[in-house]
Amino acid sequence: MPHGIETRLIETVTPMVRELVATQARALADLRYADVRVEISEGKFAGAENGEAKTSGDDYAFALGIRVLAGRRMTAPGYFGRGLGAADVPQLARLLREGLLAAYRRAMSNAELKAEVKDKFGVLGDALADTRLHPIQVRQEVVPAVFEVDPRGVALDEMQRLTTDVSRRVSGFAARVSYNYVSTMTQLSRELFASSEGALIDQSFALTQGMCYVVATAPDTSQEVYDVLGHQRGWEILTRGVSEPLIEFPPFPEFASAIARDAVEVAAAPALAAPPGPVAVVTDPHYNTLLSHEIIGHPVELDRGLKMETAYAGRSWLLRSLDETQLGKRIASPLVTAFSDPALPGYGHYAYDHEGTPARRVVHIDRGVFTGFMNSRQTAAVFGGDPNGHWKATDASLVPLVRMSSTVFAGGDADPAELIRDVDHGYYLVGHRTPSIAESRENFRISARKVYEIHRGQIGRLYRDGGIMADSRDFLLHVDGVGRDFRLYPIPNCGKGQPMQTRKLGNGGPTLRSRAIVTGGA
Amino acid sequence: MDLARTVGEALARLAREPHVQEIEVFAALNRSLLTRLNYTSHIPCNGVEEPKSAEMSGLGVQAVFDGPDGQPLVGFGSEPSDLTPDGALRALAKARQAAVHDPEFRSLPRSFGDAPALGSYHDPRLMTVADEELVEAGWKVITGGLRAFMASSRLADLGGSEAGLKRLGLILGGDVTIVQSRIAVASSAMPEPQADDSTYMSASTTGMVEARDAKGSGWSICARLEQFTDEAGAEAAGNAMAAMDGERVPSGDYPVIFGPQPVADLCNNLIVPSCHAGSFYSSSTPFLGRLGQVVAARGLSIYDHGAMPGLAGSHGITCEGLPAGRTDLIKDGVLVGLLSHWYETQRLLHDPAAREKLGVAPGAAAGALVPRNGFRYDGGSGRSFDTTPGTSATNVIVEGADPVSLAELAARVGNGLYVGRIWYTYPINGLRAGDFTCTVVGDSFIIRDGRIAAPLKANTIRINDNVMRLLGAVVGTTKDSRGTPLWGADEIVYAPAIAVRGVHVDAIAGFMEGLG
Repeated sequence: MPHGIETRLIETVTPMVRELVATQARALADLRYADVRVEISEGKFAGAENGEAKTSGDDYAFALGIRVLAGRRMTAPGYFGRGLGAADVPQLARLLREGLLAAYRRAMSNAELKAEVKDKFGVLGDALADTRLHPIQVRQEVVPAVFEVDPRGVALDEMQRLTTDVSRRVSGFAARVSYNYVSTMTQLSRELFASSEGALIDQSFALTQGMCYVVATAPDTSQEVYDVLGHQRGWEILTRGVSEPLIEFPPFPEFASAIARDAVEVAAAPALAAPPGPVAVVTDPHYNTLLSHEIIGHPVELDRGLKMETAYAGRSWLLRSLDETQLGKRIASPLVTAFSDPALPGYGHYAYDHEGTPARRVVHIDRGVFTGFMNSRQTAAVFGGDPNGHWKATDASLVPLVRMSSTVFAGGDADPAELIRDVDHGYYLVGHRTPSIAESRENFRISARKVYEIHRGQIGRLYRDGGIMADSRDFLLHVDGVGRDFRLYPIPNCGKGQPMQTRKLGNGGPTLRSRAIVTGGA
Repeated sequence: MDLARTVGEALARLAREPHVQEIEVFAALNRSLLTRLNYTSHIPCNGVEEPKSAEMSGLGVQAVFDGPDGQPLVGFGSEPSDLTPDGALRALAKARQAAVHDPEFRSLPRSFGDAPALGSYHDPRLMTVADEELVEAGWKVITGGLRAFMASSRLADLGGSEAGLKRLGLILGGDVTIVQSRIAVASSAMPEPQADDSTYMSASTTGMVEARDAKGSGWSICARLEQFTDEAGAEAAGNAMAAMDGERVPSGDYPVIFGPQPVADLCNNLIVPSCHAGSFYSSSTPFLGRLGQVVAARGLSIYDHGAMPGLAGSHGITCEGLPAGRTDLIKDGVLVGLLSHWYETQRLLHDPAAREKLGVAPGAAAGALVPRNGFRYDGGSGRSFDTTPGTSATNVIVEGADPVSLAELAARVGNGLYVGRIWYTYPINGLRAGDFTCTVVGDSFIIRDGRIAAPLKANTIRINDNVMRLLGAVVGTTKDSRGTPLWGADEIVYAPAIAVRGVHVDAIAGFMEGLG
């Protein structure tokens, strides 16, 4: 292969990283804590548009990130990140040290200014506090990747052939398909984490994804439909599909054809004229994937709860202040349970987060009662509770944030078909499309790929450009049916942070029934 | 590091490689330095949360190779950290391995004769800012905001005591960002290496008096380090205090004055993407088939200017080595131009369906498709070496004919709303439908009897409307205009306030008032 970096370089890097945090970092005056992340990935991709090959690539990514907590009068953080290349390998030890010193200088300067401002601003300075990390069990472990077909062994021309064939198939599906873009990727990545506390964690991940974006046109509309098939596995998921208890996908060609079929069908459908007032709505697992993401996952990120995202991703209606929260209060119907679990398969799976915390399940809503946030060591130290391992970055050179692992609505006992049959008049929403959520996640509007009218328990007419809008708590309190058809789906593009980090993670749930305002076109 | 020399040497070396028809070498050396800010009077905090940086350098090579049956193959490869000819060779090897036959590929970019308008416009001080200066910049903004809070007798009265003041939930969040971007490009068609160094500094801050559900924004953009002040923090705190004791409004249709931030947000998420050549190619723009037709109210003009001196988004050259410049998009209500890069322009002009997609014959559209906007932006972190160019806006400028003062515009509105900040603005039913939704999150007011009368309570209304209707319903603009940086966006939008009639809003989140 033309690129000179392989994931096994991590084995060479490990001793110098360990030495950096165990010896060099500890020798710096007033340093309280340091950690280093190094990440290497080897990946391939292919893209095709309207049945023609467009792009492909076989390359690597290599990056490092360093965090330091230090200070003479107070403790404050400093960070450093850098992308690396093959030419950096002979001088990696020097680059690591330079990065450590840069992070250290920033932390020390930050700590000194924090102390000055604290002294200067009286009562408002009181809030400025030492940066602390909640203790964790310090671990040393190697976690291998899981795959059948090694991403490194897939031939690039085979990938290009499959990708182009799928695009050609989509193009030829119907005359109404005016545009499509199809891409595939498969990669193996390896992440090393080491801390001055003695943590040393080496995790590897396979990841494979197929994406299909289709535009189907009719005289007065273009329907853009896109979806992703993905898993933390090898190339086999695209050629053979996925058939697991919680994740089910056909092979990629069939997956893409289904998207084309949906786009054409919806383009030919009439636009939904929104009925007045809230009505009964049944939402399918794919729609609820985005719903769980937006109104469960995001408001239970504790950094958001502690106002750290006020300028960007917003706050959380679940936490007003340290002693004014919704913990222990009913925020949903007793049928609703929701949780995050890094042990679930798919995009949200991992064993340790990016500060070495063993990742574990956290229940957010237990039979309607709000019970907990996903957190990091720093946010746990502020709010209380044990760290549950949800601090993740998309790249080692970037500073981690509190991110979802797999956040889901738990499955129930109801027959999904029964949930529809019980509705006299309402709507059935199939597949998610585009979200818009209020600043503290207290209200949402999410459009659907397809909206069917339900009339006397029967699925009726298909409409396009429909969705639902509701206050989050009202929607959750009115859930009166939870299906037993739980499914997990990949979310390829959750954006958070400054600079923006676009992360892959998992969401899902079963069919739900509740009440909401149905939306159409303006 | 002389990047112009780097790409010149690389080009000369790679041109000797077998089966190479055309080569383009792009070098980039980027550093983004950022301090994230987080102050909360009622929760233990750091103040300056994350002083950090991310840096990356490398070479990107796009090459055209001899292919089977005389059909050329096009490929792209990159190599990080190695700006030597060896690095270029590794990038070329990746490009060769990845090369495909793309029937829509015509050539690598060709000069269209104009010379770059900008040169030597970066700030050398910003290019060499020290770690301590980065941290100080963050604390400058925080202390600007804290001083504004401390100086407020209204807050002191509301708090009643020191403990009471803290319990008001005073928040300052945001960031100070410095981007140092150095690029150079040379190609077979444009062998004279061209280099472009740019720097940029901004601060974006949100202030809150959370106990009063009041939110305000402040921001600043500067081209030189010595211009940087604490104004973003002070402004955010001041605007938050001005927004206290906001009122709710019922659902309905209102005349709305959109302030510079909402105009910027609507441009970034809806209007500018609708003007991308790629959106016409894929038939996904609401302006499909309407080049040369009226798409907005008379008097409204929007253009992109990538080489305007003194504006934060300006550059000397694009990432394709072509001169940055002005592209008129909407002129006096008429769609006159699109944003594009070389590849997109070539393929659209040769698209058999071009007349249907554009609304005019391709020959008549060439002037509307000048490729001045081919950039390799990396989401606010500079210009990246490891990607091929895409279409990006730079400085988007919005102007109205016969602009007036804000007071006059409010008088024209009569009874309505001033919306100062929106959020999560998306084309909810796809771009072509034009439907959009967003929530109003701060800096907003109720207009009564032609005057700004009372704060609008933050996070209590959602706007549900259509961008095509909005553009056609513009009834006035202000004289004053302001540049607004947006989260995750590379362009800066310089916009006045714009009044629009009949905007539909829905009241939301009533339960929050009773939340125990």
